[in-house]
Amino acid sequence: MLTNGYLNKLRSPGFFCVALVLLALSSCSRPAPRASVKKVPAGQEFSGFLSTYASLKPNPDFENTKSYVSGDPAKNIHKYVAVIVDPPEIYISTDADEKAFPDRGVAALKEYFQNAITGAVEDAFPVVQSSGPLVLRLRSAIVGIDVGQQLPADQKDANTLERALNIGRVAVEVELVDSETGEQIAAAVDRQNLGEGATVGSATFSREEKFRAATQAFDGWAFRLRRFLDSANELSKDDIDRVEATNFPYASK
Amino acid sequence: MTTSRSSRPKNIYICYSLAAIKNITRYTGTFRFGPQLFIEDASLDKGEQSMKSCVTLSVLALLASSSFGADEVSTFAAYVDSDLCARLMLGPITSERVQCSQSTFKEGSQPVLVRLRNNMVLTVNKEKMIGPLIGQLAEVSGKVKPNDGTVKLDSAMPITNASIPKGDPARKLLDVRMYRTDRSAQLHEKIRHELAMMPYISNFDFISFAQSGADVILSGWTVRATNRDTAGRVVRDIEGVETVINNIEVLPLGSFDMQIRAVARAKLQRYLARYFWGSGSDIKIVVKNGQIILLGTVATKADSDLAFMQCNSVPGAFKVFNLLRVQGSDKGA
Repeated sequence: MLTNGYLNKLRSPGFFCVALVLLALSSCSRPAPRASVKKVPAGQEFSGFLSTYASLKPNPDFENTKSYVSGDPAKNIHKYVAVIVDPPEIYISTDADEKAFPDRGVAALKEYFQNAITGAVEDAFPVVQSSGPLVLRLRSAIVGIDVGQQLPADQKDANTLERALNIGRVAVEVELVDSETGEQIAAAVDRQNLGEGATVGSATFSREEKFRAATQAFDGWAFRLRRFLDSANELSKDDIDRVEATNFPYASK
Repeated sequence: MTTSRSSRPKNIYICYSLAAIKNITRYTGTFRFGPQLFIEDASLDKGEQSMKSCVTLSVLALLASSSFGADEVSTFAAYVDSDLCARLMLGPITSERVQCSQSTFKEGSQPVLVRLRNNMVLTVNKEKMIGPLIGQLAEVSGKVKPNDGTVKLDSAMPITNASIPKGDPARKLLDVRMYRTDRSAQLHEKIRHELAMMPYISNFDFISFAQSGADVILSGWTVRATNRDTAGRVVRDIEGVETVINNIEVLPLGSFDMQIRAVARAKLQRYLARYFWGSGSDIKIVVKNGQIILLGTVATKADSDLAFMQCNSVPGAFKVFNLLRVQGSDKGA
């Protein structure tokens, strides 16, 4: 219990001065904001990025992939015509030291993957900037990135990262949600290992031949995402029968 | 021209190029590209000869580049149609099509040109110039951008059917017999099937086609660029198809039109649920700049009227074209 004397001390001008100095010092010593990375929780199968994992099932058409596509007649992928592509999120592996992750590398990686998935989906789902009716939101995460070794000093230039990023055991988690309600319409966790042996060692890795394996891996995941969308859009047998029976051109006979 | 070598001004190279062109025409009779460009002129030494050739080539390159860079300026015969009827591709120009053009134009559909030679739909920069000619044939002059499907009009004059000579490719669209002859019925069905099976067709896309022998004209509207490309590709790959004119218009996805699409579909789905299923619908809702075009097939006239009424009450929609077909009836409502 606080005594009256103690409360009086708290109200004294000296105490406020000390508090202000401490506050100023703490804000000065705060590190610059880092590119946000999250960590895969220990002992968990998934990163926790998707809004729900409850409906995911192994997809026979895609190796090492679990997926879900809403079959709700009122809210399914066929009911949407455009998409917002959110910047990808990065989940580092459970054991990795997040302080060792170079911000520039994380930012470059995010930018490359966002461009890759935008390019892969945009002709099927035109990309728009704001949410609204008939618009999906494409959320994605690169899960399991690890920090690699320090790069040799003699190989460094202005774009070289302090530490390489290792994408050897990366998975990709994506989901399409209704841009207005956030309801999950489709989702996939792609564990197909496309990045084995690939690293990112430069902020301009997309333009450097020695990191071609990394860009190919990201392009590969983007391509698989497009294939997943194509498969989710395939017509069912009932739909085919219905379309066949009703879809006639207006041209004169 | 005889000029002594010493008195000839060295820096006036344009004279050389003119002289070169003169020499070329002198030797060949006509001015044309080819080996004749390098004809020797005995009055010039070797250095001057090479300079002459160099300047000549430069002038020719300039001429060539200026002509390649320009838009295609042409005069052609066209049918002045409404955007709506042109995209629905009612086929050859019959009285039914003329009626469609005139009525939908009056109701607010923009005027466009259909180039008779190949059925290409072209939007124009001066709609007022062709508005009075709707439902007629016209001789049009202007800069055509085939990739954009646009024409920058210089002039448009009405012409008669008879003024297009027999055998002219422009007559194709005027001849009803050219379209869908019995021997191509199988091909027609194949094209229809392939277009119907496209996976990204939504309630807001309508793709139609007309066939004239081995030539196919695709038309309609889509909200996805991929549908335009895929339709062109799948039809081109069908055995028996020789040429494909792709008049499918990709609609912009403005938030205003998106709102109209969503509300119109919700209303129709509520009152006419039996026409909607998991991935598609019998009723297509094309929305373009606040206008709704209802297409597809319904069972009764009452359903068609109900769809029209519901779409008329969509906030922001300022015009509804009801082109729904009623089963068992050839004409739309």
